[in-house]
Amino acid sequence: MSLSELHDELRSVAADLLAKDVEWALLVQAGWVGLDVPEELGGAGATFAEVAVICEEIGRAAAPTAYLGGAVLSIGALLSVQSNEFRDQLIRDVTAGNTRVALGLSAERAQPNFELATTRRGCRIHGHVTFVPDAAAAQQLLLPATDPDRVPVLVDVASDAVGLSIDNQPVLDETRQLSTVTAEGVEVDGAAVWRFDGDPQARLRGLIDRGAVAVAYDSLGVAQAMLDATVSYARVRRQFGQPIGAFQAVKHACADMLVRISVARQLVTSAVNELNEVTAAMAKAYACDTAVEVAGKAMQLHGGIGYTWEGGLHVYLKRAALNRALFGSPAVHRALLARRYR
Amino acid sequence: VTDLDEFRAAVRSWCAAHVPKDWRAAQTGVSDDEFVSFQKSWFAELHSAGYAVPHWPAEWGGGMSVPQQIALYQELAAHDAPRLVLAFVGIHHAASTLFAAGTDAQRQRHLPAILDGEIWVQGFSEPEAGSDLAALRTTARADGENFVVNGQKLWASGAMHADWCLLLARTDPDAPKRHGISYFLMDMTTPGIDVRTIRNAVGESHFCEVFLNDVVVPAANLIGPVNEGWQVAQATLGAERGMTMLELAERLSNAGFRWLVAECSPVHDALVADRLAQFEIELTGLRGLCRDLVERSEARQAGPADASIVKLYYSELLQRMTGFGAEVGGLAAHTVLTKPASSGWESGNWMLDFIGSWEWTIPGGASEIQRTIIGERGLGLPR
Repeated sequence: MSLSELHDELRSVAADLLAKDVEWALLVQAGWVGLDVPEELGGAGATFAEVAVICEEIGRAAAPTAYLGGAVLSIGALLSVQSNEFRDQLIRDVTAGNTRVALGLSAERAQPNFELATTRRGCRIHGHVTFVPDAAAAQQLLLPATDPDRVPVLVDVASDAVGLSIDNQPVLDETRQLSTVTAEGVEVDGAAVWRFDGDPQARLRGLIDRGAVAVAYDSLGVAQAMLDATVSYARVRRQFGQPIGAFQAVKHACADMLVRISVARQLVTSAVNELNEVTAAMAKAYACDTAVEVAGKAMQLHGGIGYTWEGGLHVYLKRAALNRALFGSPAVHRALLARRYR
Repeated sequence: VTDLDEFRAAVRSWCAAHVPKDWRAAQTGVSDDEFVSFQKSWFAELHSAGYAVPHWPAEWGGGMSVPQQIALYQELAAHDAPRLVLAFVGIHHAASTLFAAGTDAQRQRHLPAILDGEIWVQGFSEPEAGSDLAALRTTARADGENFVVNGQKLWASGAMHADWCLLLARTDPDAPKRHGISYFLMDMTTPGIDVRTIRNAVGESHFCEVFLNDVVVPAANLIGPVNEGWQVAQATLGAERGMTMLELAERLSNAGFRWLVAECSPVHDALVADRLAQFEIELTGLRGLCRDLVERSEARQAGPADASIVKLYYSELLQRMTGFGAEVGGLAAHTVLTKPASSGWESGNWMLDFIGSWEWTIPGGASEIQRTIIGERGLGLPR
């Protein structure tokens, strides 16, 4: 089976599964939570490219899953710290569905990490971050923190630990769950402080890039779903005695959607094949702009029905717009690219 | 180090040694004869290295793999080599038509000649047949061993330099419009052919009108079956689009973007920086699209609208980019009155390149036609 055939199969299984209301246990059962976890840790031994396929399908279904925070980000974080007994066991538990985790990383750029301090009463963690994806359902939180030597580390904290609060932050997009996470001197066991494997700053940046590309794939799925819905509608909806898709204004608008999606697909594919700050910035900026544009056009071309709550297009438009804001807006990513021109 | 890496390194060192230095300056304001001789000598130089017709079959002097062709065009673009403007129709359209539908005798007659510098022009469009090409009215009447051609062709680029013409003419006036057209190879020295240049919006005169008065074309120069010229043209027109678009995309991303950044430097303004980054992103996407089209065409998996997506996106991105160059170039951009010959669009003289960009959004299927093709063939929307 070629890689693209494998991806097609994964895609069709995902589409079937996501058509229903998805519970976490189903995602675990399908093997998606531990998709890029090595086999010796109980995972499927696949790569981020396969994770990205799932993200695209979740976006296509606008499915309200905790996959971004509960798998993509947290598994990415667990795999980027040095192996140890506790980490390895946690990966096994998450992959098997015995426990759920979230990464205490803000989806808003440039928020400070948590602070790890050594006091007379032992090791304590402090901090406050907003817009953390999928923390509400987690039993364990992985908090990116700065240790007393100013080195970034990952700290494993139980979500019901004393001094830790996880507050739901409602947003217009009802398909995503975001929280504010506050740690006020939460006690930390030394064995729960994990060092990054390699350059800690680079690994932390890598996690943000991973989140950005996962969201870019989600947006690609959103855009494709909106184009498909619009084309289907334009073929059957008749006005002035013909299907509206026969009108050049509608046809050309659909063509522009397809062109943008084709370009976005190239950019996200190259980001997943060669993940770095530049490819991630390009994919995130373009794919997320595209999804907002395409979903907006879809709403327009559906006419009155497109603007109704019942019609459901607003769900996609809101998800597309939220995706655009997660892990850096297009303008932020373009500014990042533009630093190279000086 | 793979074979492909070695190949790329070889092309790179060849380019470093052979791409003429400062050719842009030397080709600015030259006469038509100088342009033609520069084009022919650059073609000969490429040919002697085996780089002129990499896409032809091996037995005719090509035979490069698709990854090698991609590497070749990437390196030529990176070294800012002159474009093959004059040989273009010969090595692409004429050759692909001969490979697809030509007889052995036609191939033997023309393919080696093209490698020796035979120049071709496309005689397709007419005053009443632009976007609606099948509405063409030029007639070819059978007369014994010959056809006699009468009519008028338009937008025949480079016709004044051409030795031969790819001609579409109507052989059955009563058939439905796509079923009565035949495809001919026409010798441009035949009596009855009158070529007049048309000055374009940039001020250059490479488009031509071609008047055809009782031009005698031997029946042996018919290519493909009589009355099936439309089908032959459809099959061969898009054949080269992938690789030529890839070359253009590489040029736009290399020299084009480099010049644009230089034009804006030092980049202090956040809005300018944002626009530049957006162009870099789009260029990266365009290059990906072109590579994808080339690879899928090779595997015969290209979708029915893929070539249209690439053409539309390239030409409109070119227009936006050159437009931005002209905008940031300010009044100074308006003081450059001529651009180098042999440069295609990419002269870095933004106003001229901007005006010239309509040469990409109008011909070869205008953007509106491409959008209709994408909507109907790519998305299955009703006609």
